[in-house]
This record gives sequence, structure tokens and C-alpha cells, in this order.
Amino acid sequence: MKIEVLYPEVCNLYGDLMNVEYLKRSLEASGVSDIEIIDTSLKSEPYFNAHDDADLIYLGTMTERSQELVLKALTPYKARISELIDNGRLFLITGNALELFGEYIQCDDGSKIECMGFFGTHAVRRMLERYNSLYVGKFGDMNIVGFKSQFTHSYGEFEGLFETVRGDGLSPETKSEGIKRNNFLATYIIGPLLVLNPPFTKHVMELMGVKEPKVAYEEAAMDVYEHRYSEFMEPTRGLTY
Amino acid sequence: MGKIRFLIGLWAAKMSIPVMRITGHNATNYPGQIAINICPDFLDHIGKPEHIISVTGTNGKTTVNNMIMDMFDAMGKKVLSNRAGSNTRTGITTALLKGANIWGKPKYDTAVFETDERSTLRIFPWVKPEYVLVTNLFRDSIMRNGHPEFIGDILTANIPRTSKLILNGDDLISVSISPENKRVYYGIDRLDTDLTECINLINDIRICPKCSGKLKYDYLRYHHIGRAHCEDCGFSSPEYDYAGRNIDYDKKTVTIADKNGSGVYSMVNDSIFNIYNMVAITALFREMGYPHEKIVEAMKHSKVVESRYKLVEENGVRIITQLAKEKNALAISRAFDYIKDVPGEKTVLLMMNCLYDEEHWSENTCWMYDCDFEFLNRDDIKEIVVSGPRARDYRLRLLFAGVPEEKIKLMPDELEGARRIDMKKGTAVCVFHGVDSFDLTQEVRKILVERAGKLEG
Repeated sequence: MKIEVLYPEVCNLYGDLMNVEYLKRSLEASGVSDIEIIDTSLKSEPYFNAHDDADLIYLGTMTERSQELVLKALTPYKARISELIDNGRLFLITGNALELFGEYIQCDDGSKIECMGFFGTHAVRRMLERYNSLYVGKFGDMNIVGFKSQFTHSYGEFEGLFETVRGDGLSPETKSEGIKRNNFLATYIIGPLLVLNPPFTKHVMELMGVKEPKVAYEEAAMDVYEHRYSEFMEPTRGLTY
Repeated sequence: MGKIRFLIGLWAAKMSIPVMRITGHNATNYPGQIAINICPDFLDHIGKPEHIISVTGTNGKTTVNNMIMDMFDAMGKKVLSNRAGSNTRTGITTALLKGANIWGKPKYDTAVFETDERSTLRIFPWVKPEYVLVTNLFRDSIMRNGHPEFIGDILTANIPRTSKLILNGDDLISVSISPENKRVYYGIDRLDTDLTECINLINDIRICPKCSGKLKYDYLRYHHIGRAHCEDCGFSSPEYDYAGRNIDYDKKTVTIADKNGSGVYSMVNDSIFNIYNMVAITALFREMGYPHEKIVEAMKHSKVVESRYKLVEENGVRIITQLAKEKNALAISRAFDYIKDVPGEKTVLLMMNCLYDEEHWSENTCWMYDCDFEFLNRDDIKEIVVSGPRARDYRLRLLFAGVPEEKIKLMPDELEGARRIDMKKGTAVCVFHGVDSFDLTQEVRKILVERAGKLEG
């Protein structure tokens, strides 16, 4: 099985890369052998461009300057990315990486950074108004928990990945969180999303073709997951920081 | 009207100081708040010393600020400082109003201000430092500081163009600050213990700032601290203007050299962070025109407050409490790294929960997956007790780090954790706590000392 990690040298904030490590260990726990992690750097051609066998393509949270570097690196492959999304290739995109797949990012000074434009969303950046929140959502019947910490909100037309139960969606104006199209899964949730959500991790593994997925450290991970969900659902628990 | 409002603000703030002292308060922050409430542009009006030094950066700024003040004291020079108070706008405002007469004129010609990085945007428009000393820039609180590039950009946007920068040349994030300002670099020459590949999860400088090529480290100390170059475009870390070298841990000395001379300095503490602090401070005093001989003498009078670390030996058990600043992956990684220097077998109690956050919401635990919990996966650590509101999260992260499940004991109550942690003579118990849990740590230490005292054999 092959997992392509795009630009880990810059897309590594807030523990996001541990999603890939957790997935790898969970695949191992599920009996999958020959797991290959392919790190693609800013100066190299993405593996997905010339190969059709990446089971998952991952892109994590980055700084604002890195967003521009990543856009520069990915934009030459826009047509191929569009084809992969349309054909149902599995993408997992976390944090502000999702903004790169929308139309543009509007900066504090009003200038716009043009993005790849696969989705009808745009991000509005407010560098001195950091948004911090706990998050509870639904993915089908599944509970999702996580953390948001960002300088932006996104607006526009999109199909959400999660339906928010507590917290905000892509912006305070919507309860739809993240972006979904076919198997393109993107969320503003940062950090160890998969570690904190074992059921969702199993779903991702199913999409990768694993018949009976198991997650690593299942008992401890489920204990954390259930405890966090109960905690975040306490009515008196503040959501924003 | 502006002047009258300023004077009313000044007098009200000054009058609040004795009132606060009588009522048992420190008066290191609130008087500044009063002044700003009455006169929002108070910082513009208040008289400032002619020479202002700002000490900022992620880690070490309090230590550096205090060492500089100790040295000025040793030289017999009266200097204004926010040493006793906060490093934000209100703390510096309080220091300035205390250091001014009733008409707002400054009583000092020099000030040293520890300055919170994020607060510079509300301070530097009016308080213009002659020198800005930056200790380093690292990842800090995810919620408040985001990432170090953001903090570096705040500093670049707000440091006055006239300020001379004293920057850590081994920190390429600091190096990038305010590129048009005059600057000098300090650093520490290659050490025997240096690496060439990063062993930490956090390394925020992996690519060349000029061409985005992969950086190659000539030597690396921890995280991104070291010297690097780019094989694609030839970029490299700057040469030092002030270099620490010939570190002698037996004699506890370090030579600090510049193009005009050198001095042999007595270490105030043998941690590499404090050697960086010494070199930075020497660079500052050299830039101010002091000869090495005078700096060497003054530095002998500076102290590093060791509230972050405490060792108690009781009945053959070493009980160590170590500050591991909550939610700060890098600070906690540095604290965990320390454990390799604790000889013999040990047990560990983790209790660096952000108790303040628990009162209002729930601690953002993403930092755990940026933090080197792997440093706790050692054969000589026989047990790890995880405690506090995030005990379950610690357990999962430790499993992730490869720590065998049977070594981990889940004890959500910290005091119960102290009562149940394995302890025997000839070993150490290492407690990692946060700032929020200082008081709780005293109780934990007390329990551990009592238990150690009752050990037999």
C-alpha cells in the first residue's frame, strides 16, 4: 500500500504528520504489509503525477508563506489533481491545506492569493484574530472530535465533510465543516485527527481497501475518543478559547 | 487636553501603587492598566530613558533580562526594568510610569525591558529600543502564537528600523527578522555533542529560505538550532560576530570571542541554553562599548533562578521536579530530553496539564504529537504515572512513543499518582509539571518526600 505525503518539510504543523504515522501503524495492526510512505518534497514531481497506485494522498497544515510555496509546487499538476478527485482517489487534507483547493485566499491587506479553484470556497485571513475552538461533528452516524486553531475562515459553495454538532463549520456562518467530493476529504481540524477519531480512521482504511480495519492502540485510543466526546458535549464546556 | 489626560492617568496610576501595596498586591501591572484606561496613548506621552534595551524571543528572555539587570547592578548602574512585572504593554507601561517623576519625565537614562513577542505591536510604536536582543524563536502555544514564522513577522513589522538587532545566528528563524535593520549575530561553535540530523519532531527550518531546497545542517543541537547551508543555491547561516567556544565543563568556563578580543567567562549554569544566553548578553554589552574584562566581572554576579528544577534527596531517593511548560511541545521536549542525564533507574510522573484551560474549556492536545514523548521510552525508566485531566491522552501518546503498556499507570488524580508511583532507594522520581500546577507540585513533592522517608532497607 502506498501513501503519498505532500511536502512534509513544510506541511508539518501541530502534529499533523502523526496522522500518517498512525495510519501506517493501524494498517500494520490490520495485517497490511508492504506499506510505503512516499515523501514528496517541494522541488520534486509528485508521485501521483506519473503513477496511479497511491492509495492515499495526504497534505497537512502549514504556515502562510508555505501555502504559497505549496501552491507554486502543486499548480502545475492541477489538471492531474482534478482528474484524481473526479476518479475517486482518496485524499486527506487537514488544517489550512484545504484552502489551497478553493478559489483564493484573501489577505489582511485585501490582496488575494489565487488557489487551485477545485471548489467554490475562498478563505479570509485575519492574522491578528486567531480562532481557537473545540469541535464536535458528525460523519454519518460517527462522532468526530477535534481542535481548530487558525487565522482564517472559509466561505462559499461546497459539500461539507462533517456536520457540526458543537462549534463552527468552515466559518461561523455555516455548520458544514470541511469539504468532500467523492473521496476527497478535507477538514479545518488540525493535528492528530486520526489518532483522536479511531472510527473515522477505520473508515479511511476501508476506503483504502482494508476489509477488517483495526486501529493501533485501539483500547487506549477509544478510551480517549469516548472521554473527549463526553467532555466536549458537556453543556457548560466552553468551546472557544 | 491630551497632556492633561496623560497627567491624570499618570497621577492616578502612581497613587494606585501604594494602595495596591497596602492591600497586598504587587503593583507591577495594574497601574499601567489604569494609566492606559484613562489615557489610551499614555505610552506616547510618558518620558522614556534615552537608552532602551528590549529582550524578546520564545525561550530564555526572563533569564536574559534578569542577568542583564544583575550585571548592571554589579556595575553600580541604576537601570529601569520590568523585571518584577509583566512583559506585556501594561507591565512595561507600569515600569515606565514608576521610572518617571510626577510630570512624566524619566528618572533613568537606561531601561531593560523583557518584551513579549506578540505584544511588540502594542509597545514598539512608542517605546523604541536602541537594541533588540532576540534569544530564539520556536513553536510555542498553538492557540496564541500559531507558529514561529508568524511571530517573526510580527517582530519584523514592529521593530523600529533604528533598532540594532542582536540575533542568534544559530537560529535561522531569528536571523530572518527585520532584514533591513543593523544587526550582529552570536552563536556557539561546533560541539562534540552536535548532530547533523534532527532527532526532534519539531524542526521548523527544513528548507532553504532563499530557494526552498533541502537544507543540510553542518551541525545541529536541538530542533532547528545549529548551522545549515543549502546545496542548491549556496545559502548558509551567517558568520558569528560573537562566538562561544572552548566550553570547559570541568572548569565551568566558556570563551566568548569577537573580532576585537575575547574573554573567558564563568558559566552561570552548564546548560547549553544558558551558554547561549551568556553569549547573547556579552554581545549586547560589547555593542554598548564595554570591554570583555568588565563584562566577565559583572557576569560573575548574575544568577539563573532555578525555579524550573528542584532536587530533593530523601532517604536515598532523588525527587526531581522539572517545569515542562504546559501546551508547549518544544519546552516539554527539552524537559524530557533532560531525563537522559538523570543517572540510574527512575520513575516518572506526568502532570503538566493546563489546569487553567480545564476551568474554561479543554486543553488543545495537538502539542503532544509535536512533542518528543519518545525520549521517555527508555529502559531505565521503570514506570510512568500519567495524571490530571489529560492522563488518558498521555497514556495514548506514550503507547505511540513505544512505551510498553505495562509501564504506564493511569492515575487521573495527581496526589493519588504521587501516593502510588513506584519508589525505592537508590532511584529517582522525576515529576514533570506545568506553570499552572506549581502549587499542586508542592503537595506532590511533600507526599513523595514523606513516602521516601518511610522506606526501609
